[in-house]
Amino acid sequence: MRSIVLYFIIFLFFIGTGFFVYEFLMKNKDWAFSSVNRHLSQGIISQGKILDRSGLILAETENRKRKYSDNEKIRKALLHVVGDGCAFIPTSIQSLYKSELFGYNYVTGFGMPSLLGFSQDLTLTLDSKICSKASESFKDKKGTALAYNYLNGEIICMVSLPTYDVMNRPILKNDDKYEGVYLNRAISSSYTPGSVFKIFTALAALDLIKDADKRSFSCNKIKLVDGEKIVCMKNHGKINLKEALCKSCDIAFSDIALELGKEKMTEKMNQFGFNSKLPFDKLELSASSYNVSNSSSGGLGWSGIGQYTDKLNPIHMLKIMGAIANGGICVEPYIVKSMKMNSYFSETKLKSPGLTKFLNTESADKVKEMMRYTMKNSYGDSKFSGIPMCAKTGTAEVGNNKFPHGWMVGFSYDKSFPIAFVVIVENGDFGIKSAGPIAAEMVKNIYNRFKNDKII
Amino acid sequence: MPLIAILILYFCFYSLFSKLSDTRKLITLYDVSSCSLIPIWYWENSIGRHKHCDVIIDSPLVSRNHAVLYRRDDGWFIADTNSKTGVFLNGKRIEKSEKVLVGDILKIGDRELILKKGEPNSFNRNKRRKKRLEIKDISTVFMILITNIFHLLASLRLSYFEEKWNKEPLIFLGVIVGISWIYYFIFRFVFRRSNFELEILGLFLSGIGIINSYSVSSSSAFTQLFALAIGVIFFSFITFFIKNPDFAMKCRIYIAVLAVILLGINLFFGQVKNGSQNWINLGNVSLQPSEFVKVMFVFFGASTLYGLQTSKNLAGFILFSCICMGALFIMGDFGTACIFFVAFIVIAFMRSGSVRTIFLTLVSAGIGLTFILNFKPYVVNRFAAWRHVWEHANDIGYQQTRVLAYSASGGLLGMGIGKGCLKYIFAAPSDLVFGMLCEEWGLILSILVIISIGIAGIYARLCSLRSRSTFYSISSCAAAAIILFQMMMNVFGSIDIFPLTGVTFPFVSLGGSSLISTWGLLAFIKAADEHTYSIRRYKVSFKGKERLK
Repeated sequence: MRSIVLYFIIFLFFIGTGFFVYEFLMKNKDWAFSSVNRHLSQGIISQGKILDRSGLILAETENRKRKYSDNEKIRKALLHVVGDGCAFIPTSIQSLYKSELFGYNYVTGFGMPSLLGFSQDLTLTLDSKICSKASESFKDKKGTALAYNYLNGEIICMVSLPTYDVMNRPILKNDDKYEGVYLNRAISSSYTPGSVFKIFTALAALDLIKDADKRSFSCNKIKLVDGEKIVCMKNHGKINLKEALCKSCDIAFSDIALELGKEKMTEKMNQFGFNSKLPFDKLELSASSYNVSNSSSGGLGWSGIGQYTDKLNPIHMLKIMGAIANGGICVEPYIVKSMKMNSYFSETKLKSPGLTKFLNTESADKVKEMMRYTMKNSYGDSKFSGIPMCAKTGTAEVGNNKFPHGWMVGFSYDKSFPIAFVVIVENGDFGIKSAGPIAAEMVKNIYNRFKNDKII
Repeated sequence: MPLIAILILYFCFYSLFSKLSDTRKLITLYDVSSCSLIPIWYWENSIGRHKHCDVIIDSPLVSRNHAVLYRRDDGWFIADTNSKTGVFLNGKRIEKSEKVLVGDILKIGDRELILKKGEPNSFNRNKRRKKRLEIKDISTVFMILITNIFHLLASLRLSYFEEKWNKEPLIFLGVIVGISWIYYFIFRFVFRRSNFELEILGLFLSGIGIINSYSVSSSSAFTQLFALAIGVIFFSFITFFIKNPDFAMKCRIYIAVLAVILLGINLFFGQVKNGSQNWINLGNVSLQPSEFVKVMFVFFGASTLYGLQTSKNLAGFILFSCICMGALFIMGDFGTACIFFVAFIVIAFMRSGSVRTIFLTLVSAGIGLTFILNFKPYVVNRFAAWRHVWEHANDIGYQQTRVLAYSASGGLLGMGIGKGCLKYIFAAPSDLVFGMLCEEWGLILSILVIISIGIAGIYARLCSLRSRSTFYSISSCAAAAIILFQMMMNVFGSIDIFPLTGVTFPFVSLGGSSLISTWGLLAFIKAADEHTYSIRRYKVSFKGKERLK
């Protein structure tokens, strides 16, 4: 009977085995796709194709090699979306959808021959030509350009600069030209918003201050708040909210922030999606931040006009643009349109992951009209070849004697052409000068692309 | 393939466990004073006042452990185990041990016991037995055949690799098949044994090991094949050597001396390979003596019941264990030392039955371990990576992360034999063999392999309850503990459940010495099975009874 001690070892053994099987079932994807796995890097296993919305091949495996688009401009424009095959860009489709592309599952592992394999072809919502034109229009500047259909959520354009050609990978030195080259700036960055933040301040004011759109603010170019100066571009005198947004009056919006106070501002900004990691595809976006808990009154004033420590993520801004265009409700943007396993299976169509109500319908509609007014009176419809748009530009001071970041955000007024866009040009000078032309060209390209084609 | 493996293992264990159930009284003792019959179930029985005795005689004149009644090939014996009042056979006090015949009167303390026959050994029973043997033969042949088919399928996948034919794996397969059939015919028809399940299990696992080594290099598979042949011979040799436990008991001390000499040679002439000094080079062959010392350790640790009752202290065994473990620590073979320690715990507990002793040993081992960790920084290093391998993926967690990544790549069904990537990692076919199995053969088959060894452990424990001597009980449990624990260290080490130590996977890992010694250990489990020597026993006892009439 003393041999019972052997059972103890056997018991330990079965526990250990059970634990391993459990870990295997839970973590098999992490293990299989870890960077140490040479099955992936040697290209022995074929991956599915990645196609753009019109069926152009962006990436495919041929003769055990991963090939990308034939067009260098497209390769460069879509580097951050498609990925480089070396897992340097963890937010890319090739990283996020690797188990779908490789056809990995824990039953067969990578062991299936490619003909019978479970690897899937992915079709994206992007249009590669529009992306490549948008990417080119940045010239040597860094930044990001986004456009999506605010009624069905399809992202038409997503580019991030700087970029490089996957087929001719340059030696990426630690120099300024390729600073942050592996980041998809749309997803993984948050920028100082500058004047585009005034949209949020206006939304907060409309929600919380009665008749905010009817009262007037007084601007005398310079205002002292507890000894700190807030400076406006011009002396606007008496000005209402609509005019203040149109003329981008700093004094009016800092007054709103000061009037609402830290608590109400923070509460509203949290409601609008600040200070939390918003979901996008299989990821979380880099968080937008609005934090005035330790600020002076002057800081609070500056925070209302998108300076101070405010940070805004480009896709977050895109979602808000979609929400304003759509009565406060954002149709969540998405990027993978459909997946198709081998020829025996039919295509699986994907949809927008859902709706998010960021804003009050009433305030959203009012801001929509204000932005339309801004577009008409401040920038002029001719910039967009007469396509009726709503927009706001921003110029975010970044200090260090560098040029400010230029923003332009907006959406089409007419729902028959439902496009919302965000363009940021890093150190690009005034928003209207730097981001404006890129945004205008992108929107015009999309307009021409879908003139004869149904966009929805 | 997993289906065939399940079939093989099912048949093996079904026939192993099914025969465990038949038990019968060997003899009975007639107690004159109480007019009652005391059945005797075991081959070795302690008689005394103590509640752990097999035959309890509650009388103040009887010592706690008074005597041992045991059976050998040539009949029953009674032995006095230093009792105060002595044992009388037919009125005469016995010195050490004396043969007992049916009808003899034993006087133990104030009780008189008469030896009587057990269950009748009728012809009917013999006929049944014969019929059972025939069925058994068929099923054994069938089991060997499906094992061969399993190995054939595996070799074919290696043979026909990347659309090219290669005959070599099939030649290797031929040798494995040859070994299994030669073994079967010799032991079935020359030595008239009827049970081959454990050997089939061993051949099944060794075959997997050889085919797996072949996917790394053909020369290593050749070594492994050669070791298998020697291992099977070694296995047969040990089963004969320990056939008589009393003879084995006498040899214990020589074995111990031999073990110490081996370790000594190793310490002075050993070569350092991969951080531990446990290799001896003999021309073309390099050996790991510590592997063979495992077998000797089990041998020395085991004891018959008579031996146990007469020498209660563990001093000799503890001293021997300390020498072995000490030598291993000096060599730097931390993993093997752990295995010895577990074997020591199992043997010590089975010999003494005292939880307190074991507890004390564990505490002192714990203290010893902290000292070792202070002196051997590379051991600490291994502990540092433990459960954090992904943070050390390119240094101390290198091997484990690869094992995990590639075993996940294999999935449940495997990438296919020879198509893995893990084999390019250092020590893949030995230390990381479980990862290779997972990647190339699939998780299901790998789990089957390790579970089969786990179930063999359960079997070893069950048959140790019914074995012919405590010598076999102790040795089979210790051998099973070594095989199991070594497998745990190997498998769990490579998948980051234990810290990684460079021990081998029994039967499957590449390593000649290891394979031979595992077969040696398997022999102890085989010996504990009361059926192993059954044909001979049946004949002898029948003759003996005839003589009595």
